[in-house]
Amino acid sequence: MKQLLQKLPFFKQGKKEKMSFEDQKIILKKVWNYILPYRSSVIAVLVLSVLIVAGSLYVPVLVGKVIDILLPGYIEMAVIKKHLIKILVIVLVTAFLQWLMNAMNNDVTYHIVRDIRRDAFNRLQSVPIAYLDENPAGDLVSRIMTDADQLADGLLLGFTQFFTGVMTIVATLVIMIRLSFPIALVVVVITPLSLYVASYIATHTYALFSQQAKMRGAQTALINETLENEKIVKAFGQEKQIEKRFETMNRELEKISLKALFYSSLTNPCTRFVNSLVYAAVALFGGYAVVNGKMSVGLLAVFLSYSTQYTKPFNEISGVVTELQNAIACAGRIFEVIEKEPEQTDPMQTQTPAALGVQGRVSCRDVNFSYVKDKKLIEHFNVEVMPGQNVAIVGPTGCGKTTVINLLMRFYDVDSGTILVDEKDIRQMPRSGLRRSYGMVLQDTWLRSGTIRDNICFGKPDATPEEVVAAAKAAYADSFIRRLPKGYDTVIGEDGGLLSAGQKQLLCIARVMLSLPPMLILDEATSSIDTRTEMKIQSAFTAMMVGRTTFIVAHRLSTIRNADLILVMKDGNIIEQGNHESLLAAGGFYASLYNAV
Amino acid sequence: MKKLLPYLANYKKECILSPVFKMLEAIFELFVPLVVAAMIDQGIGYHKKGFLFGMSMLLVLLAIVGLGVSITAQYFAAKAAVGFATSLRQKLFSHLQSLSHTEIDAMGASTMITRMTGDITLVQNGVNMVLRLVLRSPFVVFGAMIMAFTIDPWTATVFVAVICGLSAVVFLIMNFNIPMMNDIQKKTDALTQTARENLTGVRVIRAFVKEQEEIARFKGRNEALLTQQEKTGKISALMNPLTYVIVNIGIILLIRSGAVQVDRGALTQGEVIALYNYMSQILVELIKLANLIVTINRALAGAGRVSEALEVKSSMSYPAVTGGSSQSAIPGECVSFSNVSLTYKDGGQPALSEINFTAMMGWTVGIIGGTGCGKSSLVNLIPRFYDTTSGSVRIFGKDVRDYTKNELSALVSVTPQKAVLFAGTIADNLRWGKEDATAAEMQEAVLMAQAGEVVEKKGGLSAVVEPGGKNFSGGQRQRLTVARALVGKKPILILDDSSSALDMVTDKRLREALRTREYPSTTFIVSQRTAAISDADMILVMDNGRIVASGKHEELLATCDLYREIHETQQKGAREVSA
Repeated sequence: MKQLLQKLPFFKQGKKEKMSFEDQKIILKKVWNYILPYRSSVIAVLVLSVLIVAGSLYVPVLVGKVIDILLPGYIEMAVIKKHLIKILVIVLVTAFLQWLMNAMNNDVTYHIVRDIRRDAFNRLQSVPIAYLDENPAGDLVSRIMTDADQLADGLLLGFTQFFTGVMTIVATLVIMIRLSFPIALVVVVITPLSLYVASYIATHTYALFSQQAKMRGAQTALINETLENEKIVKAFGQEKQIEKRFETMNRELEKISLKALFYSSLTNPCTRFVNSLVYAAVALFGGYAVVNGKMSVGLLAVFLSYSTQYTKPFNEISGVVTELQNAIACAGRIFEVIEKEPEQTDPMQTQTPAALGVQGRVSCRDVNFSYVKDKKLIEHFNVEVMPGQNVAIVGPTGCGKTTVINLLMRFYDVDSGTILVDEKDIRQMPRSGLRRSYGMVLQDTWLRSGTIRDNICFGKPDATPEEVVAAAKAAYADSFIRRLPKGYDTVIGEDGGLLSAGQKQLLCIARVMLSLPPMLILDEATSSIDTRTEMKIQSAFTAMMVGRTTFIVAHRLSTIRNADLILVMKDGNIIEQGNHESLLAAGGFYASLYNAV
Repeated sequence: MKKLLPYLANYKKECILSPVFKMLEAIFELFVPLVVAAMIDQGIGYHKKGFLFGMSMLLVLLAIVGLGVSITAQYFAAKAAVGFATSLRQKLFSHLQSLSHTEIDAMGASTMITRMTGDITLVQNGVNMVLRLVLRSPFVVFGAMIMAFTIDPWTATVFVAVICGLSAVVFLIMNFNIPMMNDIQKKTDALTQTARENLTGVRVIRAFVKEQEEIARFKGRNEALLTQQEKTGKISALMNPLTYVIVNIGIILLIRSGAVQVDRGALTQGEVIALYNYMSQILVELIKLANLIVTINRALAGAGRVSEALEVKSSMSYPAVTGGSSQSAIPGECVSFSNVSLTYKDGGQPALSEINFTAMMGWTVGIIGGTGCGKSSLVNLIPRFYDTTSGSVRIFGKDVRDYTKNELSALVSVTPQKAVLFAGTIADNLRWGKEDATAAEMQEAVLMAQAGEVVEKKGGLSAVVEPGGKNFSGGQRQRLTVARALVGKKPILILDDSSSALDMVTDKRLREALRTREYPSTTFIVSQRTAAISDADMILVMDNGRIVASGKHEELLATCDLYREIHETQQKGAREVSA
């Protein structure tokens, strides 16, 4: 069977997709590990499908027997009734088993999808941030959701369909051979034609479909680009030009779609045609056999009904094969997530900042870091920050200020050198303890769908309502929250929904205010926030910073001037450090930035 | 769906021919059991081998004709479906292009994109399936029933019962299942949202050490989905066994009543086999039909959404020819607003109220104020992106509503806040500002926009721009969008916060370059920074949709508290501001 399938064009296609048979085997083995816990159900499904095949093939045989005794004048109703009752029982049992199998099969599938999703999601909680930075969120989400579904549909449902199909073919063949060898031969010789026709059409339309996908992709790109920026298109009066481009693409897509759709829709009529040929042949040779007394009329009816059933599983199997290919590709994508190496585990049990007793001294000793091996970023960086000091990070946009945050929070580890908090190497500290010692407010605000209260309590779920209000007040957020329809219980949608950028940032500040750790990482607002809200944020920052070691990505000159230490960044590297006066006196990049204003 | 039917009108012929050929195909198929019955009763009954051969050749002939007929039907169906989708897509795209900013705001880009892509594909599949398969099933089902009646009316009543029973089962299960499917969809969406939120907020989640809680949250929703799927799965798994049982009970009844009829000599053995075959055909068709119902449902939903989008009408119309005339008494007046107010549709609060000002030819007008104070709303009225709710906006003394669309776009060029470039080359993008711009004109604009080094670095004007300009940084894009606006040398230039991504040095050079332009131009600069507008001929200070003060930099510093406040917080060496 395997050799036969490999000869089919479908399998040749699979090879084109750069996935070797070996790779596919490895992936299937991994899928098997997910099936293992449900192996008893899977075995039950397979046993059931054998029984169902047997039952549904036995019914026509019984019908044939009844037909044989339907001779005018010789009819014995009692005998017929006995047969009919037997048929009824078998039909009912088969139907019940069918339901049982379908339901069990669905259950196994859903459970496996759940397990795979759970493992993929859980793994994403411990993979290095670098992996998440490299892979867009949308892509990972589609692996967890869509690929898991496709894997289930193609691999699990497909597998049972495949198994039932093969079983049906084999069983039909066996019964037919037992009933009448010559006629079975006729069926066996003609039927593969239908399989060949189906795969011939599929390979030849494959090229058309990939052309169609390409064309459609190009058109979608134009649609996305235009509609996402419709206002700009209108501002420049480009509607007609774009419509023309769209029309050309649309015409081409029409041509190719028509071909693809038409040729692919030939499969059904063509296989049905082959089917009809088989039927005619069975009718002819069966008829001769009956005339020659080698077969009964009832048996002929059985053969006729088998010959229609026999080709059906072939068509189904050929469909399943393409789906299997797709499912294996999806499985590959999702296993890549599940098998991604997690970050090294923490050396100690989770500890709270109090247990660590963080004072807030931060030292970088000869730190070297880069995201990409051959593209050096931070080199030989040294700095000493005393508890309670303010450090301003300045530089033009895109200079890599987030790199510093990444290293301090241990979202990324340094390549060489050490970062120490209170003279302890942060790699020797549990990540959770280190991260809890920092309060972080980024410009790129992230809020969760839920109530305002949920969001403020994010870091301290057991906070009392009074604590929540106090934190909101300290963050200057209380007044706008109270004006919302349901106050603190207002539900905000994904990504903050109806709130303005400034309000979102105030909520993020309130979130940190509630637990107020000994060290802070802050990001000053740039253009997107109005002056008054910006002032509030500024005041909230100032209040938080008292007595805390603070790293602040600074845009405002007042913040920069007041900082104890200024780190000047350019092109990813820290090029100067010192305070305002010393940097001005040095006359370097900082001085040129300052004097340009 | 009804609203979309006119787009099928061009394919009326195909829409009729395809089902007609499908019907012919079904009829040819329905002849087969009759032929077989004849073979059994006559050929076998009277041992006529020649008759058997002739009849089997007839079967082959029926198959060949059936193939031809069915291929024809498939062709017409494909042609109608694809043609329909193509013209619908074109129509919808043009329609979306015709909408004004108000409707674009209301609909949102992602909705428009889904209508154009996914929804239309759904509709295309729907049309194709209906023409190809859905109409075939009733032909076969009812055809088989009619054939049964021609054979033996009494036994054929079983067919009526079976068809009623099957329809009831399919209908009931669908009725149960569709709401449950919707529930599954909702739970899937919730799970997707959880995953997406987790990934976009990974830094915050890890900073707060909330990984375990996230795992629990995902688990909760994952389990909820599973429970619902299990429940639904048990019901949808009923479909095939139930139809199987009904058809087979039909067969049992058929044989029973067939036996009586045969005994009475009213039916032959071959005819019973024919009836049996008809029953089997019905089962096959119904299973096919049931599998299609989901596709059809989704296509109908898609069609509903597409026709909704087509019904949205532009709220703005342009005169075909220039209307009105200059009502201006002031020579040299360029743009003037009188008593303008603007309330966005569904906006509640007015975005602009009582705006009055006049900008003279050649002026630079600075507009400053906090986010949401109405700066962009104000400049958006000049090229008539929105219509005022009351009051009028005049360019060269004439109401903007009296200009044709082409005239307006020849007068005003804009660099929007969002700096986007479009797929193509840099030159393609620049030509948006002027269709027949020469290389020299483009180069001039590029240099003025301080984008000379950008173009050079990317390899000249013919450098490729990826969709959205993704291969350019924010600052590079911003400079090129300024260049795009400058190419046309139009008399009014609007820079809507167009230097936010530029460093202060480049910003300063850009403004200097703009001042030295040789052609007369009135420039509006929207900014958050006083430095960017301090040398303007007139500065409008906005707050809460109103102009709270206007004048030159020095005057405003002396008279306007808000302006002074903004200015001071942005000055170097300013003292800590405490609220």
